Amino acid sequence: MSHESPAPALKMGLPIPNSKLGMWLFLGTEIMFFTAFIGAYLVLRIGSPGWPTKVEDTHIVVEAGAINTFVLILSSYFVVVAHEAMGAKNFQKAWKFLAFTFGLSCLFLGIKSYEYYGKISHDILPSHIAENDEQAINKVTREMEDVVNAEMARLGMEGKALEDKRTALQAAIGEQKGGKLSQLQALAAFDSEFVELSRHARDNVALSIPSAEFESQRKALTPGDKLQPLTLHGVEEYLKKLRADKQFAGLFSEVHDPHPVPYGNLFASTYFLMTGFHALHVIIGMILFGMVLMQGSKLDAGWSDWIENSGLYWHFVDLVWIFLFPLLYIV
Amino acid sequence: MSDEHAGHHNVNYSIIFGFLCFCTLMSFAFDKMGIENKIVLIILVMGVAVAKAMFVLTYFMHLKFEGNWKFVLLAPTCALALGLPLALLPDIGVHYYTQDVPQIHDAVTAHGEEADEKPKTPEKTH
Repeated sequence: MSHESPAPALKMGLPIPNSKLGMWLFLGTEIMFFTAFIGAYLVLRIGSPGWPTKVEDTHIVVEAGAINTFVLILSSYFVVVAHEAMGAKNFQKAWKFLAFTFGLSCLFLGIKSYEYYGKISHDILPSHIAENDEQAINKVTREMEDVVNAEMARLGMEGKALEDKRTALQAAIGEQKGGKLSQLQALAAFDSEFVELSRHARDNVALSIPSAEFESQRKALTPGDKLQPLTLHGVEEYLKKLRADKQFAGLFSEVHDPHPVPYGNLFASTYFLMTGFHALHVIIGMILFGMVLMQGSKLDAGWSDWIENSGLYWHFVDLVWIFLFPLLYIV
Repeated sequence: MSDEHAGHHNVNYSIIFGFLCFCTLMSFAFDKMGIENKIVLIILVMGVAVAKAMFVLTYFMHLKFEGNWKFVLLAPTCALALGLPLALLPDIGVHYYTQDVPQIHDAVTAHGEEADEKPKTPEKTH
């Protein structure tokens, strides 16, 4: 029997708390998550012969991106200050700086929402962007058709097919006296313009030739010749004229100017994928800090690890934005 | 552990914050300077971004004061993170064939673009 004292128990694992190790392992998966998106963006961009970079194509606001970068950096700094305050047992100060961080994350999301609003109002959305002249013309006709359908439904024209609604519209115009009559007549005129434009788009014939004369003019052509084709410029001029017409005021609010943006859909997909998932991470960070803020004056040293780990997560969110800002806003 | 990390690093976080703000201003200035050469612009702004990221990792995330476990944990992660871009790069990023898509046809018709953007049937090398 030995009289020697037993050897101290061997400390296994890493010299950090399990929660911190867990957070670092999670951040490891997060690094792969975001580099997959950023990597795919880079590869697609390098591989595309063109990419939209002009402000009028992308509606990217560099100033908004720069302010958001500053907001996140400041919030990261406040998290560090809060963490230090927790170490110094100054829980009131820690709570105050976490509240500032929470406020800054709200500001970040507010600025991001403003940017998203700009994109949505210009229809810079995945699969919505016309990438050549033909697609731009088709998009205008589709949007005009949507307006016709929506307005007819709003004014009480019944029928499943557009043709049934047109019949109902003509009947309503015949019955109306004053009141809605001018609205109905304006809609009928707008519908006629839509029909005319869609016929030109379908047959690819210039707007200078009325659709009623397509057949007669085709017959007059020598074999092999074609009628003058429809151009984007022609459609732009046509729309400009219609927009200036007072009777169509309001009907064009949902019709965008035809503006082809080559590779715009790829840009929009990658932009919303990266910034959307980043914004989701910001919201999760707000929940993590919100749980601490809910403790109010009860905040104590037991929350130190939570704040340290939430802080690590928040710095990572900042880190991702540090790369997204130059990649999406500047380059 | 938290107390240890919070109190004993003697880092002036205000200076780090100031440096990060300065870097952000630099990125913004590079954009406003209207640098024509895209490669130079990319090198400048991405260089600034890497410097900012290193400061956040080193000081705000305290990696400077952590043990060597950080390398064991982060090295495989970074290697795996590079996997997808590297796998996609040969065939999508720097493909050996010319793409044949409507956007290029349209650009050629509208602007008479020549050379490598000229549409042609993909060439097969295998």
